[in-house]
Amino acid sequence: MLEIRDLQVHYNGITALRGVSLDVKQGEVVALIGPNGAGKSTLVNAVSGIVNPSAGSIAFEGKPLHTSRAWNISGLGVLQVPEGRQVFPQLTVTENLQLGTTALRGRKAEIPLAEVYTLFPILRERSEQLAGSLSGGQQQMLAIGRALMGSPRLLLLDEPSLGLAPVIIAQVFAALRTLKERGMTILLIEQNATLALDLSDRAYILEQGRVVMSGASKALAADADVVSHYLGVTPEG
Amino acid sequence: MMNLLLGYQPLLDLFLLHLGLAYAQWLVLRAGVFSLGTVGLAAVGAYTGGILVVTYGLPAPLALIASALSGGLVALALSVPLARLRGIYQAIATVAFIQIVLSLNIYATNVTGGAQGITGIPKTVGTPLLLVAGAVTIYLMYAITRSRLGRAFDAIRQNEAVAASLGVSIVRHQTLAFVLSGALAGVYGALEAFHSYALVPSQFGFPYLIAILSYVVFGGRTSLWGPIVGTAVLILLPEVVRPLADARMLVFGILLILTINFLPKGIADTLIERARGRRLGARRPAEADTAKGS
Repeated sequence: MLEIRDLQVHYNGITALRGVSLDVKQGEVVALIGPNGAGKSTLVNAVSGIVNPSAGSIAFEGKPLHTSRAWNISGLGVLQVPEGRQVFPQLTVTENLQLGTTALRGRKAEIPLAEVYTLFPILRERSEQLAGSLSGGQQQMLAIGRALMGSPRLLLLDEPSLGLAPVIIAQVFAALRTLKERGMTILLIEQNATLALDLSDRAYILEQGRVVMSGASKALAADADVVSHYLGVTPEG
Repeated sequence: MMNLLLGYQPLLDLFLLHLGLAYAQWLVLRAGVFSLGTVGLAAVGAYTGGILVVTYGLPAPLALIASALSGGLVALALSVPLARLRGIYQAIATVAFIQIVLSLNIYATNVTGGAQGITGIPKTVGTPLLLVAGAVTIYLMYAITRSRLGRAFDAIRQNEAVAASLGVSIVRHQTLAFVLSGALAGVYGALEAFHSYALVPSQFGFPYLIAILSYVVFGGRTSLWGPIVGTAVLILLPEVVRPLADARMLVFGILLILTINFLPKGIADTLIERARGRRLGARRPAEADTAKGS
């Protein structure tokens, strides 16, 4: 569904991605893990059309994305939940969700508002509240809900656990699991490798702009190197 | 009583004329376009209206439509280079645009009457018509605010990258906001021309730009109330405190600086936000109670 080949991104003289290739197939949850500054967000932003790649290609269902504008890419159903939530603080929860439908652009709305509210009941309770007055976790849920309103065919999640309390992270990931069971195709960016490997089918590990390892999430979670590097525990422990 | 009201009629007219331009300014800022060109577009509309009526003898209503079109079209042309700029550079470019319009009004003597301006414009616009125009303008702005379009403007202003990634076309929406604002400024420029017998080139200069900007910044840039409150207070203030009248621009300048520093969101927006916060604050304990009860 998503094919990235030899992607390179440079900005302001810094090389963020040095030839990354990555695939996401229909119905799959793929995780991209790695330390800060590895280029994970850059990759998602390149797919979304927010940053322009200097070399390589990105194709979604055979259509090239690396030459398209951000607002056209979202029209195809490639929708991003940006890092740090980025909800519109001066709009209400409902207005934020309604804005999400902009990305439909004539595609059929497959996820009704009611389903978003079932997934995140707190959003229904807070529907008339300004998004800026929500807690971080609620904003994350709103950001995901906003993307869902655009009926994503490929959902890009950039660090959904960032800065959230463990209880809230569990809630967010439970919702993501529901989406996975529903058949949603997801590319998940996470620093929290344990969570990411637990949810995903396959994973890529990115370091300094390169894929250093990839494979089935279960296999990676069992790999001693991965465990000691990214899961923060020693194999013996 | 009637006499008292009549005494204030010129002030009411002034308020209504300036309110229209304040909304034109408010509309572009709302969509995240940092244009200061509103008075330049008003000048385009005023001169279009004045020339069509005086030189070509067109009836005022037709000239008014032409003014709206001219304001909108000039804004459309201006939006092309403006789309490549952001923030302070848009501000500089639009101030330069005002300077171009001013120069044309002074030097294109054959068309614009040069430094003499245009005189002998029949006065066809009075208070009742301005009241209708004000009501229509406020309604239009309200309708835009409540619509998809208004939400898209809000999204772009608050976070351009995210708005784009949600499928909102930045260029298309900002151009639309700028054209709508230009048409509105054009209409109010023409209303001003038809209200005042004469046009002089200096009328739409820097002091006017500062006044319009003050209304919006002082009142508030996001709520519909902002321009109304800002324009009303700033127009009444020099009248209420009579010694201030001569120093109107000085007061506007000082208030602009004070507002940016101490009430960055403007009076109306700050008050609305406080009221909102109080309402939510009052609701929270009640919510907690029901949660306990269930």
